Amino acid sequence: MAEVNIQVTSSYHLRMIQEEELLYQALRIRLVEEKIIELYPTDQIQSPVHLSIGQEAVAVGVCANLSDDDWVFINYRGHAFYLAKGGPLPEFFAELMGKSGGLSKGKAGSMHLADPKHGVIGASAVVASTISHALGAALASKIRGESKRIFVANFGDGAMEQGVFFESLNFASLHKLPVLFLCEDNGLAVHTSRKDRQSFDIEKLVNAFGIPAITIEKGYDPHEIASLSKAAIDQVRDHSAPVFFRIRTVRYREHVGPGEDFAAGYRSEEAVTNWKSHDPLYEESERFTKYRKLISEEINKALDFAHASPVAKSEELLTDVI
Amino acid sequence: MSSNTYRSALVAAMREAMEQNDKTMIIGQGVADFKGLFGTTLGLSEKYPTRVIETPLSEDAIAGICIGASLNGMYPINTHIRADFGLLIFNQLINLAAKYRYMFGGLFEVPLMMRMIIGRSWGQGAQHSQSLQSLLAHIPGLVVVMPSSPQSILESYKYAINNYKGPVIMLEHRLLYELEFEEQETRLVNPLFGSIKIRVGSDVTVVATSVMVLEAKRAAEHLEDFGISVEIIDLHSISHPDHDMILTSLRKTGKLIVADTSWTSYGVAAEINRIINESDPAILKSPPISLGMAPAPCPTAKSLEDLYYPDVHDLVESICRLHFGGNPNKIPLPAKQSMTDFYKHFKGPF
Repeated sequence: MAEVNIQVTSSYHLRMIQEEELLYQALRIRLVEEKIIELYPTDQIQSPVHLSIGQEAVAVGVCANLSDDDWVFINYRGHAFYLAKGGPLPEFFAELMGKSGGLSKGKAGSMHLADPKHGVIGASAVVASTISHALGAALASKIRGESKRIFVANFGDGAMEQGVFFESLNFASLHKLPVLFLCEDNGLAVHTSRKDRQSFDIEKLVNAFGIPAITIEKGYDPHEIASLSKAAIDQVRDHSAPVFFRIRTVRYREHVGPGEDFAAGYRSEEAVTNWKSHDPLYEESERFTKYRKLISEEINKALDFAHASPVAKSEELLTDVI
Repeated sequence: MSSNTYRSALVAAMREAMEQNDKTMIIGQGVADFKGLFGTTLGLSEKYPTRVIETPLSEDAIAGICIGASLNGMYPINTHIRADFGLLIFNQLINLAAKYRYMFGGLFEVPLMMRMIIGRSWGQGAQHSQSLQSLLAHIPGLVVVMPSSPQSILESYKYAINNYKGPVIMLEHRLLYELEFEEQETRLVNPLFGSIKIRVGSDVTVVATSVMVLEAKRAAEHLEDFGISVEIIDLHSISHPDHDMILTSLRKTGKLIVADTSWTSYGVAAEINRIINESDPAILKSPPISLGMAPAPCPTAKSLEDLYYPDVHDLVESICRLHFGGNPNKIPLPAKQSMTDFYKHFKGPF
């Protein structure tokens, strides 16, 4: 994080610092994703990428309230959560490039990011398949009598149609597990919109399991997400009980890959353009120019590390199978 | 131990796992009810109420919960009173548990156990009787064991729970539960890997799994009186069998029967033949014989079910065929009788 030169004289200023930091972190993820878009045609990243671009504020806002002991169970669209939770950037690029310097030695790639040191637990490319892992980790924590530690199941709105989502709501409520069900609701499952997928009202459904449901509409605003998710996270922590937290957001790019696909006609470009008009990361200002410069330097250093890292070693082929 | 049954070994294994390791949790449908999973978990939920967990009928979520609990330091034992219900957890088992260690470059380990019971007894039909070993052993990252005796259970469960750091599937056989066994040594260095030489012989090698090990023993004892010497290898670790033991035995006998509890195509029989063919195909002096379930779903009607499974009758006939190229000496075959009736009435010792 860059130093932000505001003197701390009041809670207002404290809040300003936090706002600055949140914006900086969200912008950092945005610029990382833009760098991936720039690099992708060079084939240095030889695996599918599901970009978080447009959804950065969600990860940054929520992770601002989590410690390394709080675990987040992420998915294949996981760049933002990995970075927001503290996953190192040089190792991130190395991982995407299949280099041995990646945290998973290049065997994971973009879809299976993880960093246990910072509580980023493994990303799965099968929709909804890590929701129940968060419950299990929470159950273990509860059996040991730990308190104040929470487990975040991060998934998209498509995951809410999987049977395991319903099973998990039931079990988490039944066993009063400290789980935050965190839904990044971009309204799309690959290219299929909600109206073709869901017959239910999600809040009523979640409430039917005795779990409170909260929806945030301004999914572009990291500060609003940070303050509202703090309340939800405190509730999970203090009461050791699940909360469902949904943040509406917009995926700017195609489901997988670096491009835009508005020409395909399955969604409205106008709606996305309208959303972007609220996106604070498009700010043109002196401070943003400064941030961009700092972040670019960090990205370039990280890329130097990744480029210098050797390709995944041949002995890794049969290492860690059993 | 007053008795030495398969069930009593499971009771001891579960009790010991809970007593000696406070990371152990037993979770599954029926683990805390009054039947306690065929008696194998009875009394444990009262003693360890937070670590013996009754579940909703949500196999998919429960399997994922086991992975999450394992990642956070517990040793989950997830039970499936019928292995068929285990099919509901294949996403978690194959896409997640089997790959977790490898996919993340060794950042995580997921030690856990799936106890799946092959429900075969009488009339269990198409969905309560299946043997899933070859589906599971096909997947890199999974260890699949079919214990055929109390000693195998005691050794392999203890080792899995206390020493092994990945997912293990234990396929228990319902027909074995009530049987009394004589004390035996398995002599396995690592009880999750390798096979067990059950009987030394010189004429024919039978490689068997689970209850078919007992049928092979019965066949061998029958044929001993007629001068035929049968060597029996209990495959035990389906995912990691002892290749050398199989090859060494066949260098001696040159004749192979694989007797498995499941279908033969793409299964254990196919795999044993692959191992031989890729190592030393010349050691077989005659074409091998594979015994397994008929290539159909399991019928419920007893008259059909008795035809469906191979048994001691088929083994004796096959061994004679391999040994003599037929049965010119007219060695009497055991009556073709219902295996389930036999195991209901004959309780051992084996």
